[in-house]
Amino acid sequence: MATKVKTKALQEFQEATSTLVNPSLRKWKEQGGKIIGCYCSYVPEEVITAAGFVPFRMRGTGSTGTDMADTCVSSINCSFSRHSLDLGLRGEYSFLDGVVWVNSCDHVRRIYDHWKRKIDTPYLRLISLPKKVEEPQVEWFRGEIATFRDSMKDHFGVFISDERLWKAIKLHNETRRLQRQLYELRKRKAPPITGAETLAVMVAGTAMPREEYNKLLKELVDELSQSSAGHSDHRARIMLIGGILDDPAYIEVIESQGGLVVTDSMCFGTRIMWKDVDENEKDPVTALARYYIADRPSCARMFGDQPRRAAFIKDMIRDFNVDGVVAERLVMCDCWTGEQFMTGEDLKEAGIPYIRLDRDYINVGAGQLRTRVQAFLEMMGR
Amino acid sequence: MTTNNLRKYIYQPETFNRYRQERDYFNYLSGILAQMPDPMSQLSKEITDITVERYDQIVHCAEEGKPFVAGYFCAAPEIYEAMGLPWYMIMATPFLAASAPYLMEDIDGAEAMGLGTDWCTACRLSLYYIEAGLTPKPWALIGLIHPCDAGNMLHQAVKRNKKWRDVPIFASDPPYFEDQRGIDYYAGELRRMVAFLEENTGLKLDLDRLREVCKETNKQYANLSEYTQLRRAHPCPHGWGVGGPQAFAATQVFQTGKPRGTKWLQQLYADAEARVKAGTGPVAKERIRYFWFDLLPFGWVFELMPWLEQEWGAVLVMEMFGLQPYTPIDLRDEDTIFKGLAKRNLYDSPMVRQARGPADYFASDIARVVKDYDIDVVIWPGHMGHKDGSASTGIMREICNELKVPYIHIGLDLFDRRYTTPDECKDKLSKFFMAMGLG
Repeated sequence: MATKVKTKALQEFQEATSTLVNPSLRKWKEQGGKIIGCYCSYVPEEVITAAGFVPFRMRGTGSTGTDMADTCVSSINCSFSRHSLDLGLRGEYSFLDGVVWVNSCDHVRRIYDHWKRKIDTPYLRLISLPKKVEEPQVEWFRGEIATFRDSMKDHFGVFISDERLWKAIKLHNETRRLQRQLYELRKRKAPPITGAETLAVMVAGTAMPREEYNKLLKELVDELSQSSAGHSDHRARIMLIGGILDDPAYIEVIESQGGLVVTDSMCFGTRIMWKDVDENEKDPVTALARYYIADRPSCARMFGDQPRRAAFIKDMIRDFNVDGVVAERLVMCDCWTGEQFMTGEDLKEAGIPYIRLDRDYINVGAGQLRTRVQAFLEMMGR
Repeated sequence: MTTNNLRKYIYQPETFNRYRQERDYFNYLSGILAQMPDPMSQLSKEITDITVERYDQIVHCAEEGKPFVAGYFCAAPEIYEAMGLPWYMIMATPFLAASAPYLMEDIDGAEAMGLGTDWCTACRLSLYYIEAGLTPKPWALIGLIHPCDAGNMLHQAVKRNKKWRDVPIFASDPPYFEDQRGIDYYAGELRRMVAFLEENTGLKLDLDRLREVCKETNKQYANLSEYTQLRRAHPCPHGWGVGGPQAFAATQVFQTGKPRGTKWLQQLYADAEARVKAGTGPVAKERIRYFWFDLLPFGWVFELMPWLEQEWGAVLVMEMFGLQPYTPIDLRDEDTIFKGLAKRNLYDSPMVRQARGPADYFASDIARVVKDYDIDVVIWPGHMGHKDGSASTGIMREICNELKVPYIHIGLDLFDRRYTTPDECKDKLSKFFMAMGLG
């Protein structure tokens, strides 16, 4: 299943997703630009953009094994952490000028410990991310962002003024608005873009200079908006929920069986763009803290916010006319095994078809996935 | 809010059976220990007696509609004690009577609920006990969202659970790094916890009482510190059966800030001192001194730990819960007390200390214990739920290499013997000891 509209923008996004260093990133680097890796969607990327650098979301794309990482971690650690660390240990991330973490989960936060000891990246930082979403946590994270901003100045000699930060916030909000426009198109009865293609668009947004990405995304949204072509040949409209999924091939398998993915709650999906940073707030650092802690749809790790997450999923199901929900998670991920369980209970009460799938970060496991999706669609009577 | 308004849970005799079974199990253990007059057995008996008393207290509270809460050792038990608030840990149920005969049945029950099997077994069991009505429903729950993802998700799932949805829950948010800003923030979280407990139990925290409790805990930790020094002796005066885990239970769970707990620690010291003077240890000839860097394998502890002593002359000299990094609490005023509690509970408490923040604690604790206790081998059991620890295995191995001490990572489930069987563990350990020329 591929979009009927073949735009240049979409091809660029797909290329950016299929490799670590895409042409625009390479060009940026050749021109002396700096690139900072970000290990989670909770890293306040706006600060990096405000410094004049490109925030790059860390992935394990292209990894073929975890031999090097396995000397550091164990087999009960998730495959994303192992593959991305492995790439780091092999020097594949030598194009980075820095890497920033938050303590997102037990696996990812340990990559920081190994990276610090074994990989010679000039600037490394872990930002302490609260696990609750209330006012004291907003205040705490405000302090963390302020310290992060200061550390960029100390290390790179770049003073990030409030003015620069507001400019970056506006630029990132523009990205979010365009991405939401793209998602709006997916509400159509025959959406003009597939779930796999959308994922490529979203991943590319974390791997390209921001202005260039926004320009291309606007072209894509304009073109798709004007097109009447769409996907009507599906058996069911699917919502996908889970953590770090950056490989469109996984969704391609779901869609090859007739399950068109029309929306999601994912790290490379709605959770990073459904809300904007409040541009009416007086202080840009407070605005960012409030956005990341309290306003954006939260990750499973955020305690006390599960009812809001469940409500968000139900809103999505209603707004995108979803027939069934597929929840995916990486094997060994405790955050998403707990969340999958709770979501399953919620959706069972609401009578919404739901399936839980475990996966490996690199190997899509097409055969098994195909069988599970087929069975799910049949169970739904589709 | 009046006490009558708070009396919201009506005792149902068919509920929390597992909790009462555990109490009976400990009673049974006490009975056996009563037949064994040696000082070490009597030390253990005192701990089991104390455990039974706490279980009885919770059962009575539940039956009589009196306030009690579920809380955690690393969530300021000093405060519960100062408030006169009985408490228990929902996650203790899988630990305390883990070698009881129903454990496998309960693990299967948790699986049947649809809980992912790579989710920490202790967390799955706790959720199962709640769902099955096997554990007492408290007036309020102090949740724990650190040190691991599994615990965070457990408490989110408890909050969502239909049967406990009306139980108010509070969890203190943990900062990642150890610094003054983190201490100040966590002290604020503890103050918010006090407000939550007062609102939901009708009890009040009296600062003078809190000071008294903290003063007594300072004594307890001073006693524990002296005791741990004795474990440096050759031979180590106590093995796996007496020492750290019980001292932890006394100081942080059942006797926090209580003179009876202090007295027990003094008796523990006296027994260890006598044994050091006599040059006796738990085995006739101590051949291997090991550091077990985690909880004990509660599900099958009686199969593995005695075997290590008997087969290999291997003595557990130190483990994670017996470590003593505690800073006394400055009792001057409310601010210093809360900051002291913040530090103790967030940066000193076992497991939370190592697993919550950066991996440096794994390395520094190993370095300290290996040097101070003359350790021959470091064993990282690698419980399937301790993913952050297993993600630190390379760091632990490297520090051991630097210290020239062998390091083994087993990979097991502390509760479910089917994950890596006791025989497989023994085989792994035996081969490793032989390869390293130990014993």
